[in-house]
Parts: sequence; structure tokens; C-alpha cells
Amino acid sequence: MLNNPFTLVGKYDVVLQGSQTNINNYLIKQLPKSTVFLDTKLNVVYASDSLVQEFNLPKSTILGLPISELFDTSDLEWSASMKACLEGLNQEKEIQQITDCTNCTIWVEYIMIPWYDQSENVIGIILQLEDVSNRILRELEQDKLKMHLREKSEIANIGSWEYDHETQKLSWCNTTKKIHEVADDYQPNIDKAILFYKEGYSRNTISLALFKALENKQAWNEKLQLITASGKEIWVNAAGKPLFQNGIYKGLIGTFQDITDYVMSETKTKESEHLLRTVIDSLPLNVYIKDLDSKKVLVNKSECDYLGVDDPKELLGKSDFDLYDKDMAQISRDEDLEVMEFQRPILGRETTSVKKDGTSTTFLTSKIPLNDDDDKPYGLLGISLDISDLKQKEHELRDLINVTSLQNKKLINFAHIVSHNLRSHSANFSMLLDFLVKEVDEDERENIIRMLTEASDGLLETLENLNEVVAISTNTNIEKKPVDLGRLITKVEQNLTGFLQTNKADIINEIPKNTSLNVVPAYMESILMNFITNAVKYKHPDREPIIRLSLTKNDKDTILSIEDNGMGIDLNKYGDKLFGMYKTFHNNQDARGIGLYITKNQIEAMNGRVIACSEVGEGTTFKIYFDETN
Amino acid sequence: MKQIRAISIIDDDPITVFGIKKMLNSINVCDDIRAFANGKEAIDHIKELITQNQPVPEVIFLDINMPIMDGWQFLEEFINLPLEEKIRINIVTSSIDLYDKKQWEYFRQKTHHLIDFKNKPLRKSEIAAITKAA
Repeated sequence: MLNNPFTLVGKYDVVLQGSQTNINNYLIKQLPKSTVFLDTKLNVVYASDSLVQEFNLPKSTILGLPISELFDTSDLEWSASMKACLEGLNQEKEIQQITDCTNCTIWVEYIMIPWYDQSENVIGIILQLEDVSNRILRELEQDKLKMHLREKSEIANIGSWEYDHETQKLSWCNTTKKIHEVADDYQPNIDKAILFYKEGYSRNTISLALFKALENKQAWNEKLQLITASGKEIWVNAAGKPLFQNGIYKGLIGTFQDITDYVMSETKTKESEHLLRTVIDSLPLNVYIKDLDSKKVLVNKSECDYLGVDDPKELLGKSDFDLYDKDMAQISRDEDLEVMEFQRPILGRETTSVKKDGTSTTFLTSKIPLNDDDDKPYGLLGISLDISDLKQKEHELRDLINVTSLQNKKLINFAHIVSHNLRSHSANFSMLLDFLVKEVDEDERENIIRMLTEASDGLLETLENLNEVVAISTNTNIEKKPVDLGRLITKVEQNLTGFLQTNKADIINEIPKNTSLNVVPAYMESILMNFITNAVKYKHPDREPIIRLSLTKNDKDTILSIEDNGMGIDLNKYGDKLFGMYKTFHNNQDARGIGLYITKNQIEAMNGRVIACSEVGEGTTFKIYFDETN
Repeated sequence: MKQIRAISIIDDDPITVFGIKKMLNSINVCDDIRAFANGKEAIDHIKELITQNQPVPEVIFLDINMPIMDGWQFLEEFINLPLEEKIRINIVTSSIDLYDKKQWEYFRQKTHHLIDFKNKPLRKSEIAAITKAA
């Protein structure tokens, strides 16, 4: 509001008369739009209150001031417009950036028209102004937003679309069009849009989604297949929702994204995963992955089968402590720690795994540390090959080799014995015959002939011994049958009664009554006879012989012990020869060096084995192991 | 003139002992010929001679396969006896076992005594050659 317009009147070039001026002034003051009247010198004559308010002008001082003091009018266009206006030319609406009196840059929309008096003379300019800064900024902001949106949608390949229910118009953004592979000026509509979807599931789904959107106001978001304009099959993520205004359906908006690459890589990943799963499940190896706590995070079918579960889930999260005995699990855990801590893989280590039910399996185990991208260990990959069968075969093979080499050794030994014994006799024959031919002395000839006879007898005996050994070794069809051991011993005792009585020998039979042993009866009798006579023959000179027979059992063998208190034998010296042929160790005239050799052969023919323990001067114990399981 | 002071025959086979004795007598090389049935008897005798400071046999005929102490066990003890004199030992055996040949090689390398290896039967023609002081 102007305080006192009258005082100012005199300053103006155009003098308005009295009440007229007042009326004008009063009217102009109330104009709703910022308006200013300028005289020909561009000084303010009237101004609306709205001007003062809109542009924050000082209320009291604007009348009479040049417009240039209120607004920076240095701009050429603004000045030119004013000049033209004073010449009576109407000016177009303009928008201009100006600096206001507070030095702020603002956007102003203005229009100026010439101010005529009653005589149609131009007496100034009527200028209407509007601060449009906000509008302009909003427009700029919007432009920027639109640009951003466009960029974003292009970069992310996310298109948008909009359907106006009223106009039935469907509009696609450029990206959406690009995804459909249609030209920029393509005009879509709902029917055409639906036809782009692949027939079948995709088209049905989108149709249903649209229907539901209208019926139930439901939004949708579907992965669907689309056939583009060029016939390319692609995957899209189609999302949309209905728009309502005050409960009235207005249309639809939505987004549209090409996710072919994503779906493809996802499919590929799934395929790879499936392939990997098939591979590890088909491998004849136990495969598992453990985490840092040695808990299983992946197991394959072989591992499941081995541990007797149908579903891998039953094993996941479990450690060896849940699956094996504590000792067993600790060994495995220690291995795991070694692998993960020191990054030292275990490759092809032979391990034995015993399950809680006692089943033992031999594995060729490999454990390989697993590290993340930062090289930090997160677990291990375990691969175990069950080599139990192989191991068993290897064992059998080794046994076979042992048996074979043992038999080979026996054979060579036997060949040497035969060779040696026959040679020594034949050498004697040869030598004695040589003597005989040249000998003239009758007595000496007789002596030589006597020796020849002895040599002949010796050869015969040797041949008989060898024959006996061959019979034992070659007779593989010997029949074993259960024999009452106690009764057999009594029988041997009876056969040896005279011999035992002469030597004052005592036999202590500690074998339980009715003990039955699966043996070849004739061999068993011969064996007992041999050991008992040996024990008496090699009795200690200072004491009467005592022979103790007893029976014990271990896991697989029944062990018959024959213990005497005889003179004993230095096994360090003679141990390897004890059971050899023609080896005698004591100065005993009866020693033929064949008894223990035959005994050993008989025991072995029954799948048994024999060992001797002895201490010189104390006695000897022979232990015969009968493998009853075989 | 007897060339050899004393000879030992160590063999458990009386026929072999008879044969060697007969051949030695035929070449009239030594008056003192003793036989031992095994290595133990022989080594005990030789040790006895050493303790009594008497000379040991210069030639020994040694069988390998004998009871109680065989030829190799005898040799093992014999080569460790404190004898400066070089003794001739003739191994006489019917063994053709390669092991025995190896054992012979082994003992030959180990001792200063002369060790020879002969297969039975010994021939009269070769007895003189192996019955010399080493």
C-alpha cells in the first residue's frame, strides 16, 4: 500500500488530476497480478501491491523510482522491448532470467503493452510480471528426471509402459519398444502386446494377469517368454499394476525387462549344477565336502550308501564324531585340520575306516583344502576310493605267494636233500668199488664188501625216508576227521609203555575230556609219537622226564602244547635247522635226523604249523597250531 | 720220510673216513691221522692241543653236513683260533648246493688258512696234491 501518493504526484512527468489519480492509484494497487505502470522515462508511476509482495520490493519507495532500480533491465531484449513498446508496439509474452533487488536470480514471465492516455498518446508502459522461477525449476527438474529415467531404462534394459483406460491407448517407452524389436514409431495396443507373448504358458499367464488386475486390482510380476518382432525368443520380466483414482479404474502401468541373459545363465548354472550332481553321484567314489568344523556340507550317493542312509540330508551338518567311534573320528578330524590349517592336501593315503557296527573298510583317501576368493580356507573336499576288495585280493595274493615261495623253498630244500643223500651214498659206492677192484688182501676185500652192504642198506633207508616225505607232501587228498585227542594220546601212551617205563617217563595229560580235533588220525598219532619219544630221548641226565600235554585256543587256532623238562636245545644256534632233514643236534646214537622233518611235514599237510621254545638245561615246548576255521 | 705231522678227518660217515684214511695210507704221507664224527669233537681236540702248546694238524679234511656242529660252524670257530701257522683245510662234501659254494668263498676271504673245496668221492689220484702243508 502506498502511504501517500499525493506527495509523489508532482514528481511525475505525466500529471494525473486530483481524484482521477487517486482512483487510478487505488484500482491499480488492487490488481491481482503484479503490474507496474511506467512513464516514458521508465519511472514507476503506479504499482500493484502484488508486485511489491511478489518481488519483495520495499513498500514505501518504489513510486517514482526507475524500473532499472527495481529489476536489472540491462538485458538487451528487455530494453529493446520497452523501447518498442513506447513506440506503440505490443510485445509478446517473454520469460527472462533477471536479478531482483535482493540480488537473487529469478525467472520472470512478463508482458508489456503501451500505456495510452485519452488521446491515444503513449504515455508509458504497462508491465505485467510473474515470478515463474518455481515453474521453470520444476520444468528443468522434470526434464532432468525424464532424462535420468530414459538413461536408466536404457542402461538397465528396463522398459516401461502405460495404458490409459479412457483412451484405450497403450504406450511403450523406447526401451520397451527396443525389447520388442519394433520401430520407435510403433503404435502398440493391448491385443498386439499380448500376441507378442509366446503361445501357451506365457500368453495364458499374461492374459490371466491382466484379467486379475482388472477384477481384483491385483499387480503382477512374471517371468515369461516373448517372441520379438524379428522372431527371436527372449525371456522378459513383465510387471504391472492397475491404477485407480478415487476408486475408479484409470489404466495400467508397468515395467518390462529383458532377462534372457539372466535366465540363460541361470538355466546354465542349474544345468551345470545338475551335471555336477549327476557326475558326483555316479562316481564309484565317496565324495564329500566338509566345513571348517569338519561337518559335512555335501555328500554324494556313494557316501550315503556307505553310511547307509537314503537321503543326503541325513548326513549334512554331521561330523565324523556323529558317524564313527571317537578314536576313529579323532584321527579323521586331525587329518582334516592338517589339510585345512597347513593347506597340505592328502593324496591317495591308505586309510582304514571302521563304522560303528564294526565294518572295516580300506580307503584310498584324498583330502583337498577348499579356499574362498581371499584364499581363506572354508573347508575341504574329500574323495575316498573303497579298495577293500583290492586289499582282500592283495592279501590273498600275498598269502598265495607266501605259500608258493614256502613250497618252492621246501622243494628246493628237498631236492638238495635228495641230491646230497643220494650223492653221498653213490660217492661211497664209487669209492669202495674203486678200492675193491684194486684190493688184493682178502680180509680188506671182505671189509670193503661189508661196508658196501652198509652203504646199500643206508641208501635203502634214505630212499624209504624220502618216500615217506614225498607221500606226505604229495598226498593232498588226505582226509581230516574229528578225533578224540585224549583217546589218541592214551593209545600212543599204550604203544610206548615199555619205552616210557624204562625211562621212568611221566606223561601229564591236561587236555579236557572229549576234546575233538579235526585231523588226519594217522598223522596225528605219528606226530604225538614223535614228540613224546623225542622228549624222552633228549631227557635231562639229572631228572626223570615229565611230558605235559595241554590245549589252548586263540581267535582262530587251537594250540596243542607238548612241554618237556629235557635237556633243551639252543635255538639261537639250531633254530633254523631244528625241523630240517638229517639234522641232529645231540650226540645221540638213535638220532636219524628225520623225525621232526616228517612231523613238520605232517602238521603242514593238515594246514597246521609248529613252533618250538626251548631253554638249554630246562626243557622244550612244542606248540602245534591247528587252524580249525580252515 | 713223512711230510705231514698230523692230519684230521672230520666226517660223521664212517665209510668216508675209511676211504680217506686208506688213500692217505697208500701214499704214506702221515702217521698221525685222527678222525672226528663232528665239528664239536674236532674243535675241542684242537683247542686242547693249543692249550697244551702242541702243534695242531697241518691238514684237515672237513665234511659239511654233520650233527651237533657242522663244517661251517667248525670253520667259524677255527678261523678265530690264535694260529699263526697256515693250515690246509679240504672241504669234502657231496653237496652241490650253491649256498655251500658261497660259504666257501666267504671263509676263504676271511682267513689266512688255505681252504679247498672238493666233491665226494675223492679220487686217489688227487689225494696227494691236497695233502701238502699249506
